[in-house]
This record gives sequence, C-alpha cells and structure tokens, in this order.
Amino acid sequence: MIQSTNPAAPTGIVLNIQRYCSHDGPGIRTNVFLKSCSLRCKWCGNPESIRKNPELAYDPRTCSGKKACGLCLKPPFPEGAFYVVEGDDDKVKVNWDLAGDCDEANVALCPTGALSMFGKTMTVDEVLAEVEKDSSFYRNTGGGITLSGGECLLQPDFSAALLAGAHERGFNTAIETACNVPWRFIEKLLPHVDTVLHDHKLTISERHRKWTGVGNERILENFKKAYETFPDIDFIARTPLIPGVNADEEHIRSVLAFIRPHKNVIDYELLPYHRFGLGKYEHLGKVYELDDYKTPSDELVQRLQAIIDEAFGRSAAPSSTQGSNEEK
Amino acid sequence: MSTHKRRIAINVGAGFVPGINAVVIGAALAAGKLGWEVVGIRDGFDGLLHPQRYPDGGLLPLGPQLIEHLDPAGAGVLGQSGRVDPFHVRTVDADGMVDEVDMSDELLQKLKAQNVDALISVVGGQGLSILYKLQRKGLNAVCIPRAIENDVAATLVSFGFNSALSFTIEMLDKARQAAQSARKIAVVEVLGAQAGWLALQAGIAACADVVLIPEIPCDMEAVAATLREKITPRRPYGLVVVAEGAKFVAKAQAQAAAQPKNPLKASLSPLATGDASEHVIQRSGQAAETVANRLQLLIAEETFPLVLGPWTRGGAATAVDRQLGLAYGAGAIRALNAGNSGVMVAFVPPDIKFVPLAQAINKVRVVPADNEFIQTAQLLGICLGRALS
Repeated sequence: MIQSTNPAAPTGIVLNIQRYCSHDGPGIRTNVFLKSCSLRCKWCGNPESIRKNPELAYDPRTCSGKKACGLCLKPPFPEGAFYVVEGDDDKVKVNWDLAGDCDEANVALCPTGALSMFGKTMTVDEVLAEVEKDSSFYRNTGGGITLSGGECLLQPDFSAALLAGAHERGFNTAIETACNVPWRFIEKLLPHVDTVLHDHKLTISERHRKWTGVGNERILENFKKAYETFPDIDFIARTPLIPGVNADEEHIRSVLAFIRPHKNVIDYELLPYHRFGLGKYEHLGKVYELDDYKTPSDELVQRLQAIIDEAFGRSAAPSSTQGSNEEK
Repeated sequence: MSTHKRRIAINVGAGFVPGINAVVIGAALAAGKLGWEVVGIRDGFDGLLHPQRYPDGGLLPLGPQLIEHLDPAGAGVLGQSGRVDPFHVRTVDADGMVDEVDMSDELLQKLKAQNVDALISVVGGQGLSILYKLQRKGLNAVCIPRAIENDVAATLVSFGFNSALSFTIEMLDKARQAAQSARKIAVVEVLGAQAGWLALQAGIAACADVVLIPEIPCDMEAVAATLREKITPRRPYGLVVVAEGAKFVAKAQAQAAAQPKNPLKASLSPLATGDASEHVIQRSGQAAETVANRLQLLIAEETFPLVLGPWTRGGAATAVDRQLGLAYGAGAIRALNAGNSGVMVAFVPPDIKFVPLAQAINKVRVVPADNEFIQTAQLLGICLGRALS
C-alpha cells in the first residue's frame, strides 16, 4: 500500500488523467489511472502502472543522440545508466539495472523529452480540479470519475478522498479493480462508489496463480463480500479475454455461475486481449511475456458474448471488440 | 596469491545454454587444486534467497565425488531461474499482494553467513550489470560471459555461442534441402537481436544466398535483385538467413503507413502503440515473416519462413564450448587467486584475461563493418542486404 504522509490531506501517485472516456462506467468520464498493482498479469496492457513509485521511461524516437546532446552520459545522471553502442545509431540506450536512481530532476534535464517519468505525486484537490473541467459533460450524460490503474484500492486513503470529493460535487463514481487487496481497503472505498468494474481473470486458482502471480481465493471472497455488503452498488464483471488462457466457454460459464445469484451484478463484459501496450514495455525496459499471443477472433468473442447475453436474458446481439480498453 | 582456504559460490544467470556443467567442473577442479571449497547456488540466487523451496538444501556442495561423475557435456546441475536479479525479487507478502523487493542486502548477508567470500557468476549482458551493482555493494564477484548471440563485449567468444552456431548451421543445411525440394526460398530467422554473429557465421558456413544482420540495415529491393540473379531454372531455390533484430532501410515509412486504426486506442494511455508501430518489441518470427512476405511481393518466387528461436538454446555442447567452459571456470578461480574481484573472465586469444566489470557493461559486441566475416561473405557472393563499400 502507498501511504500518504499526511492522512488529513492525502496525496497519491497518479499515472495519468484521461478525459472524455466512455467505456468505464456510465456517461462521459474522466479516468484517473493510479500507480501500483498487486498482481502481475502476463498480458498487462499498462505495465507503467505496476510499480508503486514514479519510474523512468525512455522513448528513443525523440532522443537526439550522443553527438547532438549526450547530456545523460555525464553527471549528474547516475554512472553507467546510459550508453551508446559503437557502430549502432547515435541514440542513447538505457541500462535499466543502473538507471533506477534516475529521478525527476535528472529527467528534467533531457531537452527532447526522450526521458520521462511515469507517475507523479498529486493532491486530491489537484486531481479533482482536473476532473472538474468536464463537469458539464458529467451532468448531461450521467458520467463522472473512474479510478483505474494499476489497482486503485492500493491507495485507499487517497482514492477514498477522491471519490468522496467527486460525490460531493455530484459526479458519478466508478472504480476498476481486481480486488486483490485486504478487505479493510475495500470497505474504505466502496461507500463512495456507484459502480464497480471488477475483473474475473481466471476461475481456477492454480491457473490464476500461474498467470497473475497469486491464487484467486481472496479475490473471489472479496467479490462475494462486496456484493452482499454493498447491495446498492452496481457491479459489472469483466474478463480480459486471452486466447489460450481464459477465452473459453467453461471460464465464461463459471464466471456467470458466480455472479448471477447476485442481483446487483448488472452486467458481464468481455475485454478482448489487445497488444497496444507492447511499446510501453520497451519504454520501461521490461520484457513482455506473451510475445507470441494473438488477439481473439471476432467470431470467438461473439460466441462467448452470446452466452453472456443469454444468461442476462438479452437477445444475442453480439458486440465485437467494443468495451473497454485497459486490461489489467 | 591467496594461501588460506576459501569458500567460493557459483551460480548461473537466466537463459539456458548448453554445457554449463563444463564451467562448473572447471571452477571446482581448479579450486580443489588450491584446497578451496566450491558450492553451487541452485536456480540463480533462489537457492540462497529461498532455501525453504529446496528439501535437499539450496546450496549444492561441489565436492570431488560429485564433480568426477558430472558430465561436462551436460547442462543444469545448478538449475536455472527465469529471473536472477536480487534487486527486484518477486514476492507475495502476508496480505497476498505481489511486489518486487530489493533483497540484495539479504543476499550479501546470507553469503557471509555461509562463509562464502566470493561468487562466480555465469551470466549474459544483463547479468553483468547486476553483478556490477552487487560488486559495488561489496561482493567479491567474478563473471563468466555466457551468450548465445556472442554479444558480450570484451571477450572474443562467450560460452554457449559455439554450440548455438553449430546447431544453427545444421538447421540451415536442412532448410536449404527443404527449399531445394520445394523449389522455394527458405527464410530462416536465427537469434541475434542486437548482434549478427550467429546469422553471419552460420550463413557463411551454410552458403546462404542472403544474410541480414542488425548491423547492416537492409534494402529489400537489393535483396530481391540478388535473388533474381541467383535463382535460375537450374537452381530454383534459395536460402535467406535473417537475424531476429534485422533492420530495414525503408521500415519506418512502411510501418507508419501500415499503422492500424483501432476503436480501442482512443482510450489507451499515452505511448500505447500497435504491433505495427516502429517502436515495439519484435516478437519471435516477425523478422522471417516480414522478409518472406516482402520478397514474395518483389520477386516471382515463393518463400517460406522458418524460425529457429528457442531451439537454438538446447542440445549438447560442442567440443569448443566444453573446452571454453572448462577454461573459463578454471580462469575464474585463477582470477580470485590472483586477488581480482569485480572482473569478467575474457578470452582474448591466445590468453584468458580479466576485464573489470565496469569496462564490460554497457557495451554490445556487434559486427564491425570491416570484420573478416563480412569480407568473406562478400567474397563468397553472399548478399548482406545492401551494397557495401
């Protein structure tokens, strides 16, 4: 958990604030992506959200090279953090094992912006000021703020303050979560939430452990407890659909069996696997483990969607790759 | 020269290469001659950091009885770990949450508690940086370079390269026979993300028609022109070897034009890209597929892509690697006995030398433009992707 230094005015580490979103809750929304995650899903599309603290990113496309610049090859940048390969192009490369000490002050010296930091510390008021810019859209569409990540429940004080502030302003509130946190974090936030978008990644615990790093017993327990403790919240289940991992009827039916007894789970959405996060892995010097995985076919998505539609008593009107975006 | 009895640990970094046992045997035998004790750390650093996972103990004493029965051609007496980075060890805390924690201090303490006063680590490029960091924290470390792609600088040959080269040549021979039989052009992707040694040397040995390496961005028009000349009714087949990191002269423009529009993208965070972006991780097989598809559009011949990829990492060690492994293992002990620390053992013919880690990191051993193998390829009429001066 990321602790705020002053509980009365909590600060959080924010990855990104994205306006005009339409998939993650009702109406037009502003998505606030928070840093830190307690899972390590191999398909993660937001690798920059995983670590707790702000971290270095490097985009070689905007690096002007050693001859034109070369600032990062000298102090005050950490020794050995950057280098140039002889015979290759002139652009700088990052030794990610030695560049961990780079901070915002270092990054600010990069004249082209090739170096940047993912994540910055913000106050609740700063975030809400940004969110408020679209308040007229929220009023007209029933929209509001969605906290995403990473795992927004890992910054419970900050997230709760943000959501309470949004409610005070009359905005709809939603969170995207995998619920792999202690219950005490969840019960702190949910009183301020209108909609919970929650991930059912894998049903079998051992397989969940293989693909995400931990089993799913506590996650399922949290889901069930949340459904029962907060009957007025709308819950929407989601599955990031990965062919070869969980894109099969058995998984979809088992999720349906779990959620359908709970009337406040109002929908179940499929998030077809995509590979739009791949470039970010390289910007962070991380290895993408699902190197050879393919996106699911429209036919497969439609077939699985039809099962969901039937379970929810809707006529099978399959959507294709609609839905949200940020797979966790 | 040290006279007191020392206890040395040895471990293996991430990534499999054939014949690692040869290095272990070399170190253990040389240490035994000095009266030193050698213990192996199982699975990278896991045997030390997580001993509870090993009912027989996370450290393996490499005494004479074990060593005399160890097969120098074999691999894996110490096992391997996917991640060998004590600064970012993935853990699950008491609350069931995954995190990466810095266990480097704990590692050093555990080595001390085991009376280990030096570590020999068989590592590739990234491992060198990690050992350099540990050395800066006070660890007596000697590294042995191990790289299938032979891209570790400061040594002529890394352990594992020769075995990979032999296997690649064998596979290229088979690919050429398949191409001959099918009357097509085989496009074979081999390992080599940053350096083209494997593609170049194997391509020469297999008498390939074209070899594409990362160091020489290739012009597909030039490649097509070469193949148009080489492929005749009497010889209606071809062999193209492409390193996985091969670069293409016109790539940026072509890919920018091919960038797909996707309804999801509007909601993605900044820097999100697609597979077709210029700057994404290239998946295995992409280079072969790209070259095969482009060639088929440019010339009136059929192509078929093949990917060696992880196949290259398996198999038995060659005679050269067995000798090199034994020499590197013994050389590491010699380095420690001479009082060296924070060095990499390097083969600089005819000598085994010790290079400071600070000089070994942040360098990639790429193929220079005037390299003898480049000249040989040109003399043999092998197209390297574009006209070279």
